Amino acid sequence: MRLSPHKARLLKSNLTGYAFILPNIIGVLLFTLLPMLYSLVISFTDWDYTRGFGNYNFIGLQNFIDMWSDEWFTDSLVNTIFFSVVVVPATIILALVIAVLIDRYCFAKLPIRLAMFMPYISNVVAVAIVWVMMYSPWGPFTQLVQSLGWENPPQWLGDPTWALPAIMLMTVWSNVGYAIMIYTSAIQGLPKDAYEAAEIDGANAFQQFRYLTINFLSPTTFFLVITTFITSFQVFAPIQIMTRGGPGSSSNVLVYYIYTSAFSFYKMGYASAMSWILFIILFAITMVQWHGQKKWVSY
Amino acid sequence: MKHLIKILTTVMLLSLVIVTPLAASGSSETGTGEDVVTIRFWGGVPPEAGPQASVDLFNEQFADQGIRVEYERFVNDDTGNLKLETNLLSGDGVDVYMTYTSDVMAKRAEGNMALDLTDLIARDGFDLTQYGGTLMESYYINGRPYCVPTKLDQYGIVLNKDMFDAAGIPVPTEWTFDEFREIAKQLTHGEGQDKVYGMFWNSQQDLTYVLQYLVAQTNGGDPMYKSETESAFDDPVVVAAVELINNMMNVDGSSPTHADSVTQKLSQEGVFLAGKSAMTIGPWMVRSIKDTDNYPHNFVTAFAPYPVYAEGQRNYTQGGYGDMLCINPKSEHIEEAWTFVKWYATEGMLPVVEGGRVPCFNTYDPQEVTDAFLKGGEELLDSETTKKILIEPADNYAAPSITNHSAEVKRVFTEEMETILLGEQTPVEGMAKAKERADAILQQ
Repeated sequence: MRLSPHKARLLKSNLTGYAFILPNIIGVLLFTLLPMLYSLVISFTDWDYTRGFGNYNFIGLQNFIDMWSDEWFTDSLVNTIFFSVVVVPATIILALVIAVLIDRYCFAKLPIRLAMFMPYISNVVAVAIVWVMMYSPWGPFTQLVQSLGWENPPQWLGDPTWALPAIMLMTVWSNVGYAIMIYTSAIQGLPKDAYEAAEIDGANAFQQFRYLTINFLSPTTFFLVITTFITSFQVFAPIQIMTRGGPGSSSNVLVYYIYTSAFSFYKMGYASAMSWILFIILFAITMVQWHGQKKWVSY
Repeated sequence: MKHLIKILTTVMLLSLVIVTPLAASGSSETGTGEDVVTIRFWGGVPPEAGPQASVDLFNEQFADQGIRVEYERFVNDDTGNLKLETNLLSGDGVDVYMTYTSDVMAKRAEGNMALDLTDLIARDGFDLTQYGGTLMESYYINGRPYCVPTKLDQYGIVLNKDMFDAAGIPVPTEWTFDEFREIAKQLTHGEGQDKVYGMFWNSQQDLTYVLQYLVAQTNGGDPMYKSETESAFDDPVVVAAVELINNMMNVDGSSPTHADSVTQKLSQEGVFLAGKSAMTIGPWMVRSIKDTDNYPHNFVTAFAPYPVYAEGQRNYTQGGYGDMLCINPKSEHIEEAWTFVKWYATEGMLPVVEGGRVPCFNTYDPQEVTDAFLKGGEELLDSETTKKILIEPADNYAAPSITNHSAEVKRVFTEEMETILLGEQTPVEGMAKAKERADAILQQ
């Protein structure tokens, strides 16, 4: 069969395109998709890492059933949900307010935004270690709290009640700069005429914020809600560095427990099953948000 | 001009392409001829603390036999061991390596990561019991030798002899939990930043070895287990040990609390060697005692046996064998690796003795070992108690035999222990909970 010259050209340009993205596709296939599928397979097995590759028995859905009676799993799931439910709104509300304040009422906008952005691009390990010092009994954070009148503050990271909130505070602090950056770029594209019209109609600054800015920025907020939710559900590095899930299991989160059961307990099958549960949870949350957006996101 | 730049760039890029592989192959060939076999040896000790000197010695002695050993350090924590095991499972990147605990050893033997040495041992008449007694058999897995234990893990309380002298307390040779607690109280003084504690438990590093040391002397080598399917966390000795630590941290104030240790990331070097505690738990920091550049101090360090539960309850000597040398079954040079293992175990360890590791083979001269151990720290280590507590082998060690789900059981213990030390539950309550949780895991 002969192709028409037009179709031949189209085919050729398509092939060229695929050739260009081929290295990337191979990478994704080899290092992301295949391992993902493999993890689905081994989530139905009792694979113990030390028994070597391929040495496992299929046990059906046993892993998926067992985890709900595993206290470590349920506790870490509750901790993860608590973590996300606080961190996501706190980050986004704080970022929105700060972004608007910087945009409207600040001199030296750029340096301030840069300063806010620094923690996000700093190495998370370094950030976490600095915060460990901040939280130590002689650290600046503890002293600040004391000077504000709380005479005997807890040993933040050494206290079962406060360890997770302390890490949450740090996470909000380090993520807020990123959200500010996204909001700022959106704010700069807002239609000026709408604000002028509102001003003529007598809307004060708060009303403009409440009725215009929040609405105009709703697509950005939607994007941020989805992405911060996913990242905060996957929190791992600060936990590993600051508390290793302790004291007790008070700051154990899902990804940290998946890591522990895979690489300390060597239960690869079980860990894979939990990873898939994590994936399903994230997928479900994202779908719910996707459907919910019709109610509050205006484009 | 444009052409010149283009030509220059091309030449530079070409030369990079050509030179890089040359340089790479050049570096890997230095010192190795055609017929030299290179053995890659992985261990957890920093090379400068002895292993490099030991390996150099071997390379010198065995140059004419065409064997060369290269030492690589992995950090002996979860991540480091994972790196090692990934290497072992995926091929022959490692020929000889160290395993540090019995439970990990069992996993590696059963997971085909360690070579069954039965045949090599039989062929060469290298029966391990002739070098280390019947205790060697405790390190067999399912009745077969998969490793050669090389180090004597015999520990005791590390103490600041100057502080003991100043308080008029003789270095103890036998003591119970109560006497130990009393002495720690006496040695505690000062307030705030100047406070000197009687004891430092080093609890932020690991809470399970505390149990190991205090309980094993009475109950034997499996302080966490009653049997394969039952944990021992309700045992009176275990509960008493937990109470001892809890009382010293939270009642007497004679040791830094667990929360302090965790939140301030305390270390034995930072507390004991800085003169902020009179005693500490683990003599594996002998290396740092000698390192007065980094840890300046001038007091004499002595050693005492770990306290026991009650008078007459010292049934075993805390200790056993460690630094278990294994051979990767996938190695292409098993014969040469075996040669190195034999050499290291029987005569190659003197350089690592200087770093604080005592050999367990009887092929070494005890005086030579003591001298090497004290070398560079003659003024800082009390030679008599060093020899008696850390070097002279005993004949009644508590040998471990159970490793069932040990990582999970340790984690359960650590969590409940932390909750106890933070004052959220009493030792009796916490250990009852630990037993319930651990038993559920063991009976799976």
